[in-house]
Amino acid sequence: MTEKLVVFDGVEKRFGDFTAVKKMNLEIGSGEFVAIMGPSGCGKTTTLRMLAGLEAPSAGEIRQNGRVMNDVKPHERDTPLVWQSLALFPFLTARENVEFGLKMRGVGAAERKKSALEWLEKLGIGEFADRDISTLSGGQKQRVALARSLVMKPEILLLDEPLSALDAHLVIRMQAVLTQLQRELGITFVYVTHSQSEAFAMADRVVIMSNGEIAQVGKPKDIYRAPANRFVAEFVGRNNILTGTITTLADDAATLSTPQGEFLLDTSATTLRQGEEVSFVISADLVHISLEAPKAENRVQCTLISEEFVGSMVTLFLESSDGHEFKVQMQERELSKFDLRNDAQIWLSWDTNSAHILDQE
Amino acid sequence: MSSNRTQNILLPIYVGLIFAFVFAPIIFSIIFSFNSQRFPTIPLGSFTTEWYVKILNDPDVWEAALNSLIVSVSTAFIATFLGFCTAYSDYRYNFRFKGPYLALILLPPTIPLIIMALAMLAWLSKIGVSGQLWSIVIAHSVLTAPFAMAIIRLRLHQMDPDLESASWNLGGTEWGTMRHVIVPFCKPAIVSALCLTAAVSFDEFAVSWFVSGLNKTLPVLILEIVQGNIDPQVNAIGTFVFLTSMTLVIVAQLFFLSRQTKSSI
Amino acid sequence: MPLPNRPKTTFSAYAMTWRLPIIVWQLIFFVGPVVFMVAMSFFLVKNYRMTEAFEFVNWSKMMSKGYFWDSYWHTIWIATLATVCAMCLAFPAAFALAFKASDNTRRWAIFLLIIPFFTSYLVRTFSWFVILSESGVVNAMLGYIGLGPYTMLNTTFGTLVGYLTLTLPLVVILQTVSMANIDKTLIEAARNLGCKPAATLWRVIIPLSKSGLIIAAVFCFILSFGDFVAPFYLGGSQEPTLPILILDTTKSGQQWPRAAVVAVIMMATLFTIAFTAIALAYRKRASK
Repeated sequence: MTEKLVVFDGVEKRFGDFTAVKKMNLEIGSGEFVAIMGPSGCGKTTTLRMLAGLEAPSAGEIRQNGRVMNDVKPHERDTPLVWQSLALFPFLTARENVEFGLKMRGVGAAERKKSALEWLEKLGIGEFADRDISTLSGGQKQRVALARSLVMKPEILLLDEPLSALDAHLVIRMQAVLTQLQRELGITFVYVTHSQSEAFAMADRVVIMSNGEIAQVGKPKDIYRAPANRFVAEFVGRNNILTGTITTLADDAATLSTPQGEFLLDTSATTLRQGEEVSFVISADLVHISLEAPKAENRVQCTLISEEFVGSMVTLFLESSDGHEFKVQMQERELSKFDLRNDAQIWLSWDTNSAHILDQE
Repeated sequence: MSSNRTQNILLPIYVGLIFAFVFAPIIFSIIFSFNSQRFPTIPLGSFTTEWYVKILNDPDVWEAALNSLIVSVSTAFIATFLGFCTAYSDYRYNFRFKGPYLALILLPPTIPLIIMALAMLAWLSKIGVSGQLWSIVIAHSVLTAPFAMAIIRLRLHQMDPDLESASWNLGGTEWGTMRHVIVPFCKPAIVSALCLTAAVSFDEFAVSWFVSGLNKTLPVLILEIVQGNIDPQVNAIGTFVFLTSMTLVIVAQLFFLSRQTKSSI
Repeated sequence: MPLPNRPKTTFSAYAMTWRLPIIVWQLIFFVGPVVFMVAMSFFLVKNYRMTEAFEFVNWSKMMSKGYFWDSYWHTIWIATLATVCAMCLAFPAAFALAFKASDNTRRWAIFLLIIPFFTSYLVRTFSWFVILSESGVVNAMLGYIGLGPYTMLNTTFGTLVGYLTLTLPLVVILQTVSMANIDKTLIEAARNLGCKPAATLWRVIIPLSKSGLIIAAVFCFILSFGDFVAPFYLGGSQEPTLPILILDTTKSGQQWPRAAVVAVIMMATLFTIAFTAIALAYRKRASK
């Protein structure tokens, strides 16, 4: 069986006493768009730098196309990186920046120029080819940095928070540019970010890291609906986490007693014990609201604290009688059916099979 | 990997050699000052304090030392005052001809000392203040004010620009703010500037030699001794001069660095 | 840091208290002497007394003297040689301090290198005079391994040692600082794009630290060009440099106006070189 394009096999990275990445196992397939996400200091950038050869693993193996890459020098690799700072050479023009990698590979001047201009054109900044880097705008620089990496025709492109320096409206535009490029070129993208919206919007697969370890790997939707553990659930946000003790056990169902009330859980996929402490998560968009007490299996009465509008979506922030915060997400026009004031008493409810039980640590 | 390892061994050795070259004359001068040979070489002669006894009994040395002290202390205060005024003006105000204004204070160190010496000699004779200790102080203040200005300007650079406005907002007058906010904030830099300008003045020989007339400072005395012959007394005086200026420089740096790191936390 | 936003109308007693002292002081004691020296180059000397005049006789006398031009080119040559030596000798050390040393080590190194800059150059030169002499420390050590003795004093080598004593610490500091300030990700980016480690030196490090390196060279040249101690005590002044010429003309002959001619020519030369170099250092790329 042939191996995936990139394999992290028990990779570890230590800096002195500090372990940045712990025993990492990860496979990245050809043509995949993988986002590595996590809070700062979780080891995501170190992982990316190891892939580019800028850090050597302290233990384990990184293989690319079956070849062990641990001791391969950065300049001998085919893993161009788009830097958070962009790292464009200020003493070169836009075109010369794009040509740099080709020049290092010994490509002739005429051909270099042709490929560089092609790529700048393709990214819509052909007219700025001979401009000084310092005279370009943030978005234009971004495109030069992308062109500089893509002109190398790599198998895999590494991106280290490339959009973090851009204005919000440009971020959305560049996200579209990036996903389209990735589909069109069929190149593997490994994209490091701390932004959930970027990762979930673009990636085929998301790797969530915490304290140097992989907390969960999966499709954005799966991670959102079924976070593996409390860390992921909290990190992903926009969901409600409830914790309690199992009081009754039945076939494929259990009752959980929490400070917020008694809720039913579907146990067909897990085994729970009587008296066990269990947390489950319910996505904010799977919670229904009503003014009258609903005839639902799971319900809780809350006070409305505040509303937050983003586009046509609205998020309600509510509080149960014991002070636990609940979040509900819905379409704005759906909300307008209700006439809500702050302090309104609202019933929340959800289907038992919407709830996802978290792995207990 | 192997080329990297040789680099990691060879480069520190190289850095060591550069430092050895830079510090060799200082260290040898100190060693020679305790060495009995009249023409010091290896193997060294016996340990002696003969040269120190000699200079301590030489009234010329005492007089030169006193002159040096007067000159360097006076210079330090004048240059630091001038440097502070300029640094503050540059920090606080934008005005026309600011470029030439800054050039006025920053240019002197780029002009060779021998030229400054000639120009000073000619001009001070012309206006009738040459041949006195004050002539040296005047010339040294021109030469060292840029150093004071640079150090104090760096310190002001670290000051929150709203600090001054905050003081006015709390009812402080401009003069009160200067006294209670700006000067205390710049104090470490002011001490550094005093030490460094004193050190430069204490070591300067070219301009002093030209304009001093009969009032010799220590470096001028050294210059006159070494013109004739090899006299280990020079090493003893030199060691004394080294220790003085090194102390000043180290105190200056400690003041400057320690406060800098503290304020950046 | 941008200048704080403050009113531009600044004509107040307070503002002037801080602005005026340096203007007055430098006009009297810096601009005055320099302008007077230029004027003095046109004065006449009669019966060992200087009289104010406006004659070109000093200029024509100096410019027509072969020894002046010999001395001029010799000074340029030896200051250039010192600059090249200092820049080359300092570079590996600065490179090591900028890229291989920890921040702490680098701070200490710079701390140490500042010390000699403020300590007596004269005594250090005299120390070299003793160390390098025919029977001095260096020749004694070479003697143990059967070499020498070499004549190092009163040679160009001696002068160079003196110049380097003066300039090397400053050059190492300026080079180190300009390289340490380079954004390290640019070096990594070059490696990432296939640039070999050695090639990053030419492709990235030198272009990025260019202005700092040029300024180091300019300072080195200015210091060497204007120094009279090294060529006098260690170089033996057989081929007098311009500073020695000034010294001799002023101290022995009372020919201040002629010394002023030499000084003005030196200043003109230095300014030309410094401005050209700084223009080069900060040259903007011609945008097409």
